[in-house]
Amino acid sequence: MITVEGLTKKYGSTVAVDDLSFTVEPGVVTGFLGPNGSGPSTTLRCMIGLDRMQSGRALFDGKPYSSLRAPLHEVGTLLDAGNAHSGRTARNHLRWMAASNGLPAKRVDEVLEIVGLRQVAKKRVGQFSLGMKQRLGIASVLLGDPRVVILDEPANGLDPEGIRWIREMLKHLASQGRAVLVSSHLLSEMALIADSLVVIGKGRLIEQCTVDQFISRHAKKWVVVRSPQLGALVDLARAKGMQVVTDETTAELHGVESAVVGELAAGNGIVLHELSTQTGSLEDAFLEATALSVEYHGQSESAT
Amino acid sequence: MIAIIRSEWIKLRTVRSNVTTAIVAMVIPLAISLLSVTFMGEENIDSGTLPGFIVGSGSVAVLLIGVLGVLCVTQEYSQGTIRLTLAATPSRPRVYLAKGVVVAVLGAVLTGFIVLIGNVVGSAIIDARDVPELDSNPDAAPAFLAMILMGAVVALLGMAIGALTRNPPSAITTLVLWPLLVEGIVGGLLSLAFDDDVARWMPFQSGLNSMFLELPEDGFGRWGLLGYFAAWVLFVSLIAERSLKRRDA
Repeated sequence: MITVEGLTKKYGSTVAVDDLSFTVEPGVVTGFLGPNGSGPSTTLRCMIGLDRMQSGRALFDGKPYSSLRAPLHEVGTLLDAGNAHSGRTARNHLRWMAASNGLPAKRVDEVLEIVGLRQVAKKRVGQFSLGMKQRLGIASVLLGDPRVVILDEPANGLDPEGIRWIREMLKHLASQGRAVLVSSHLLSEMALIADSLVVIGKGRLIEQCTVDQFISRHAKKWVVVRSPQLGALVDLARAKGMQVVTDETTAELHGVESAVVGELAAGNGIVLHELSTQTGSLEDAFLEATALSVEYHGQSESAT
Repeated sequence: MIAIIRSEWIKLRTVRSNVTTAIVAMVIPLAISLLSVTFMGEENIDSGTLPGFIVGSGSVAVLLIGVLGVLCVTQEYSQGTIRLTLAATPSRPRVYLAKGVVVAVLGAVLTGFIVLIGNVVGSAIIDARDVPELDSNPDAAPAFLAMILMGAVVALLGMAIGALTRNPPSAITTLVLWPLLVEGIVGGLLSLAFDDDVARWMPFQSGLNSMFLELPEDGFGRWGLLGYFAAWVLFVSLIAERSLKRRDA
């Protein structure tokens, strides 16, 4: 379980993360969403003490990261799979990390096996593809069998197979009862991986909720109808004040429930070939939510 | 702490450029002194010849060891592993200390090997040549010890400069230009301005002088020179450790 309270990070006078608080529960994958440059990566670096935060704290099962003597046993972090010396072999890369936290070389071989890199354990990291580096990064996360897992943009630059592997690995880790926090700007990917969301914009918390709640709150909903008498239905709907977008065969009716449209059609003897409710994607919801935060900040800044 | 030292040692020896630098730091000084005793005129060889060549090659050796000290920090920044290091060991003073122990011991071991191999092989070369039996030189042992300690101290200096600049080219340039250029110019100018032998207060030069076989009578003495330089290196190291602790990784 991760608890972040009032985390604030400034670079000079620029506020990168502003009084951010959220929690990450064990057993689920929590997606950490924010437009590029809005602070997810900075937040993660501050949480594990790489960057100094000006105020606030991040607790891992109640303890700050800096108090952990052998942190790999409690928190596994992958910020950037490129953080590995290109001249070292995969095995040696993991060996020095393992040694620093008192883990035996045997554990290195185990995690290499888990991520499927055993065959290339003695190859230099510089010869690895991005996908292999990402697997090596996951291996380093698993070294200490931690209760908390943190990954920054793990799907970045991966091919579809690699993305699928990461997705299944994260779900597997969460199913074992670990708290998993994953940042990403690949929203469609996040919709598949995450159960819960922490959404930030301009370094501020916009919302913490489940993916379904987030979509239902922020994504648009509309009713789609197809009908041989479409023109008549559209005219009736417009007369009732509904927003209608139409082409030759279908019409989208906004700001209305499908039941209302069905009753309107039945009451006027109009035949319907389709009547369905559509919901926007996580991407739509996210753009909607963060656009508001950007506008809000723009106004508040110009006001001061 | 032992675990972190082990980890730092694995890091150092598993990168080929570090191993190459370490080998070069031994081979070049050895080649200089052994070739010198091989080709020096037999009539000029006395008890101070071989030790003199060995400690004379010491300045090259310690500078190359200093480069190794630089590399063990800067490659962490250039390759991004510093973030993994600090995530695995959140206590930055411990990380600095562990790295320091590893590079200092390695520096002393490398200069120790140069002294050992230089003496064994150099004596064999001299024995094989037409030179009368030589006495042992009383200044040799303390000079060798100073050289071994200099290996450790300059390794720590390289590491400190590396931690301050975080960048290999600028750190190596600083390390090499400091004794060769900066101290020469600053010392020279100060001597002109104050009409005094200010040059002897130049720290790196003091350290290098501590390895001389014969020291000037009026100076600080061997351990004074070495101690003076070591105090400077400690000072720079404290600043570097503070910088590591304060700056974002």
